[in-house]
Amino acid sequence: MRTYILKRLLLMVPTMIGITLLTYAIVRLAPGDPVGAMIRMQAGDVNPRVFEREADRIRERLGLKDYNLWGEDPDRIDAAEKLLNAFYGYGRWVWHMAHGDFGESMQHRTTEGSKDPFDLYVERAHVTIILQLIAEALIFLIAIPVGLMGARYRGRLFDRGSTVVLLGLWSIPQVLAGTLLLNLLARGGMGLEWFPYAGLHRAGAEAMGWGQWLLDTFWHATLPVLCLVYGGLAYLAKLGRASLLENLRADYVRTARSKGLPERRVVYHHALRNSLLPMITVMVMMLPTLLGGSVIVERIFTIPGMGNLFVGAAMQRDLAVIMFGTLVYGTLTLLSLLLADILYAWADPRIRYD
Amino acid sequence: MTEGHPTRDAAAVMPGGEPAGPPRTYGSIVWGQLKKRPSAMVSLGFIVLVALAAMLAPLVGGEVPIRWVEDGEVSWPIVRYLTNAEYVAMAAFLLGAGLPLTIRLVRPGAERVGASPVLRALAIHAVILALVAGLLFGLRDPERSYGFYLERADEAEAAWFPLIAYPKNPGFSELPHKEQPPSWLGWLVPDAYPEPSWDHPLGTGRIGDDVLIRLLYGARTALTIGFVAVGISLAIGVLLGAVSGYCGGWVDLVLMRLAEIVMSIPRLILIIIMITVIPERWIPAIWTVVLVLGVTGWTGTYRLMRAELLRIRGEDYMTAARALGVRTGRLLVRHAVPNGLAPILVGATFRIAGAIFLEVTLAFLGLVQTASWGTMLNDGRQHLEYWWLWATSGSAIFLTVFAYNLLGEGIRDAIDPRLRI
Repeated sequence: MRTYILKRLLLMVPTMIGITLLTYAIVRLAPGDPVGAMIRMQAGDVNPRVFEREADRIRERLGLKDYNLWGEDPDRIDAAEKLLNAFYGYGRWVWHMAHGDFGESMQHRTTEGSKDPFDLYVERAHVTIILQLIAEALIFLIAIPVGLMGARYRGRLFDRGSTVVLLGLWSIPQVLAGTLLLNLLARGGMGLEWFPYAGLHRAGAEAMGWGQWLLDTFWHATLPVLCLVYGGLAYLAKLGRASLLENLRADYVRTARSKGLPERRVVYHHALRNSLLPMITVMVMMLPTLLGGSVIVERIFTIPGMGNLFVGAAMQRDLAVIMFGTLVYGTLTLLSLLLADILYAWADPRIRYD
Repeated sequence: MTEGHPTRDAAAVMPGGEPAGPPRTYGSIVWGQLKKRPSAMVSLGFIVLVALAAMLAPLVGGEVPIRWVEDGEVSWPIVRYLTNAEYVAMAAFLLGAGLPLTIRLVRPGAERVGASPVLRALAIHAVILALVAGLLFGLRDPERSYGFYLERADEAEAAWFPLIAYPKNPGFSELPHKEQPPSWLGWLVPDAYPEPSWDHPLGTGRIGDDVLIRLLYGARTALTIGFVAVGISLAIGVLLGAVSGYCGGWVDLVLMRLAEIVMSIPRLILIIIMITVIPERWIPAIWTVVLVLGVTGWTGTYRLMRAELLRIRGEDYMTAARALGVRTGRLLVRHAVPNGLAPILVGATFRIAGAIFLEVTLAFLGLVQTASWGTMLNDGRQHLEYWWLWATSGSAIFLTVFAYNLLGEGIRDAIDPRLRI
């Protein structure tokens, strides 16, 4: 098992290189001048000399200066040279990253200078993590009992009804649900202003006691979390139902029943435990969605989260921020794949990786 | 749930409804099971209906008349105005509907040589479709000029206009009509909605455009995204999965890494970058989405297909087929792929639903300008008081995605052998 994990971890290296190289090449080789566009967008029509100085500084910092791919004259260099330059730039990015330098954001700049992508993500991490953790916990807590009941009363009204209702919920577009919830319950569309309509904390939340802070956060998170939860229920509930059905047919359940154990004990003690595994695996596989899964919700409810940062960077071709996001996303995906495989082997001794 | 009587069960077979003569194929068993599920069949019907409506959108609403009589001369303008793509789509639809008939026709011949009648019929229809498409795009030039038929309606002795005779893109001359609620509501609530009529059954939008027409053209986008993107990814996934599972060794290792790479690149981000990078005049944003989805969406299918091949590679019937000298390609097409196809189909229906949602997300981010349900919903979202704008597109998205999900669920149940015991 240890060799297997080590092998998988080693195989992650070429995969990560593939992921980052591909992303880097796509962002870099594309035509246009994002650096100039960004400065113009932020500062308007600045003095051309100031503009050139600032653009040069950023290009220098991002390793674009001498290997001009995003320059004013894209036809000056031919395709082969461009490709070579992209490779060089990629090598430079890897080298700097290995030294803890992730480059700087073009988009998020203050008067003191640009921001480090690492800081940008960390600033927004807690918001996204709070939202996603509450949402995933709720999905788990609702989906398991529903799936369980569906399996126990298979083919009856509850089973069919819950399937249709959950599939229906899954089919509601998040954009519509979010907008309606926001306008009806928070913005006073029907005279109701039960929930706040922006942010995850009230102004001055830092000064609150932790109990009050928690209450305030939950109150702010109610509607966004609702939006994140309703669609995810169907998948997990169906999975739980199928998995429990599989186990209820297994020989060991028949043995347990023939021993004369009460049905409750057979279901909850024997079968349920074994059917939790695939659900946990799915929860693990959901890990990477932390980074981009809640863009819509974050935008509608004006919550500064990581998803919005990542998507915003992609829209503006903010190289350093895109690359850092890709790095984190790729690592999370590969790790969750590995973790899922390990979990399977750990819970089921029949599975062996050699 | 479906403990059907065993003998009746055995009789429910082919789409044609004929009694089971030849050995029952896996496909016919699944189809028989699926037919017993009303929710799945209603969903399938709904999807076919949406496809039909999307295809015939110019007949439902638009400015080009179907029949036009002027100076005693009868003409059919719509025939000239329909685009080549529309004719190809109609041909595909008719060929799809005629598939059971062709299967029945080729069955005797195919069985004499031991070929699959379904595959043979599919191949024949594919060739016909390719011929039709080639001829149309090669020879035909659809009418592009604006015929001013609506404006000249008085001059005609007789004119059959579409149900909603209204310009598709009315422009600013129509501004007074903007944002009208569904025109028949006046009959229900006379005080709130004046002038009841059937002119705009679903109301009009910001520039006075008819919501129903926009909805129908949006359906085209939704269906295209779903079918083409998932079709591409299915083809790639089945092919690579079969190769990977069958060859094993380093081929498998490399392909598996490739799948991991594709899986680990955040898809939404990739699509956004591609849309911002590729100019609209090269490839329209919506086709960029289709391409990226198709090229990156194959990993699930690939894994399923690979696992299926790893499983059946060692089965006796494969060894037997190989011992009989069956060629590798034929082995894969006839034995391996059909067995893995049903679970892949389940994934495909759910992915089509996912593709429709993705378009909504992109429209929400302002990255898609094509006529689509996503852009309609995003427009309507900003003015909730014009409820018919978001309610119509929202329900269209909801109903279509729901239908795909129910269908996928139905197929999943149908392929579950435990339900047939």
